[in-house]
Amino acid sequence: MTEPTMTCDLARDLAGGYVLGALERSEETAVRDHLATCAEPHPEFAALGEVVPSLLALDDMVLVEPPASLGARIMAAAAADLAANPRVAAGASVSGQGPVPLAPAPMSAAAAGSVVVPAPASVAAASSDRAGVSPAIPFPTAEERADRAERAGGASRTRASRFDWALRIAAVIAIVAVGGWGLNLQRQLDGAHRFESAVAAVVQTAAQPGAKTIVLAAASGGSASGIGAVAGDGSVVLAMHQLAATNGSQVYEAWVIVGHDAPLAVGGFTVDGTGTASFTTRPATTPAGATIALTLEPNAGDTAPQGPVVSAGQAIAPPGHTN
Amino acid sequence: MSESQIGLRGRTASPADDADRAVLELVIAGQLDALQELYDRYKSMAYSIALRITADASLAEDVVQDAFLGVWRNAGRYVEGRGSVKTWTLSIVHHRAVDAVRRRRPTTELPEREDVPPPALQAPDIWHDVAAGLDREEIAAAMATLSDVQREAIELAYWGGLTQQEISERTGTPLGTVKSRVRLGLLALRRALVGDEGLAGGLAGDNS
Repeated sequence: MTEPTMTCDLARDLAGGYVLGALERSEETAVRDHLATCAEPHPEFAALGEVVPSLLALDDMVLVEPPASLGARIMAAAAADLAANPRVAAGASVSGQGPVPLAPAPMSAAAAGSVVVPAPASVAAASSDRAGVSPAIPFPTAEERADRAERAGGASRTRASRFDWALRIAAVIAIVAVGGWGLNLQRQLDGAHRFESAVAAVVQTAAQPGAKTIVLAAASGGSASGIGAVAGDGSVVLAMHQLAATNGSQVYEAWVIVGHDAPLAVGGFTVDGTGTASFTTRPATTPAGATIALTLEPNAGDTAPQGPVVSAGQAIAPPGHTN
Repeated sequence: MSESQIGLRGRTASPADDADRAVLELVIAGQLDALQELYDRYKSMAYSIALRITADASLAEDVVQDAFLGVWRNAGRYVEGRGSVKTWTLSIVHHRAVDAVRRRRPTTELPEREDVPPPALQAPDIWHDVAAGLDREEIAAAMATLSDVQREAIELAYWGGLTQQEISERTGTPLGTVKSRVRLGLLALRRALVGDEGLAGGLAGDNS
């Protein structure tokens, strides 16, 4: 710091500018540091600062409504932030009502880069910091699956409000919509349109009574993400995007994992250059808390996963529905 | 500085403040719908403030997004008893808007966003709010007690995003005079709003 040493007198002299935010940034930092460490009282800061909010009311400002898209952008960015930084600990202190993370999948922390939102750089930076996991996530062990099942049990006891439920779906749709911004190539646009229809199919399924929903987050190092809904017959309707195109005999295989059970293959699909997929799995028993995972398999028809998980998420029951 | 020195404890929180605090608790817990609720309550004020300061619709949108994401990530830093959630939220919008216009001005020193430490979120971390509970006319009457030059200095700083140094340059007024105008203007406002000098006159103890 090249700034002169901040003294109490100098700080007092700068108090008016400080509370108005009218100091040079270096001065502001020096004043804040001084206030944080100075043993002397500095009541002038509060005395002057208290009146500053009244300036907001004073102004003959005409209220202008922001565009509706702004709210969607903010919610999408917040949802992405939440997926990257789940707030498990914070929820415990708040009157018994746990947090409802958007993507409760166990790998959501590692999947920070998954949600496609033109969020501020700090989000991306924080995400990549956190993604300190090996690039290819190995398939979960039985222990991990049991742990997950246990956590899912806890989650299903949380009573989410109806509004919260609708919002979770809305947030995902907002992410989808926002994802369209960065697209400039025709192929990507085609993919976006196709993904939109795929999402519409998922939302239609999710609207059925008792349907469960899934947010699939990308594994670390990847970007494949999407949403899904479990239909009445246990089949899963998936809308995925940002998948790498399949080559030769490669397929994406969907797996349902319930508690300690071995992963059950429920169908596979190929992906072209658009990176999007709309796919309905074979019917299976898919209770709340089950994990839906996608792997990239070298060959179709495998009964145990060979390739890495590219995207996964957990089935969540609607509010008030026990299973 | 203790709360008792400030002498505003008699001012009770309105039901709206209490409701906002409840919503903020849920924001801290990571409830997205709580953020949506807070946004819906203050989006018009937030956007209008950002628009007024930046005079740029698209920059104003970025400012509001940035501010509400700041609220989302840092709701836990809100200090109860210091001021309303509304004031806190809007002061974040204000600060981000001022940052945005300064960043746009090539002459102003401003570190890159990544270098700004998180506390910058709440620049003046002073959210005690004497305006809460006062109506617009009372505040307008208080503002009328300021001299023209005091009001100009405060408005250039608060709405123009200018630093005291920049105000000095723009108005051709010595820096010391600008500082005095800002301080005395705020004190006059305080006197008119709460009827005291804050510190038994101790703050007004200089001339000009």
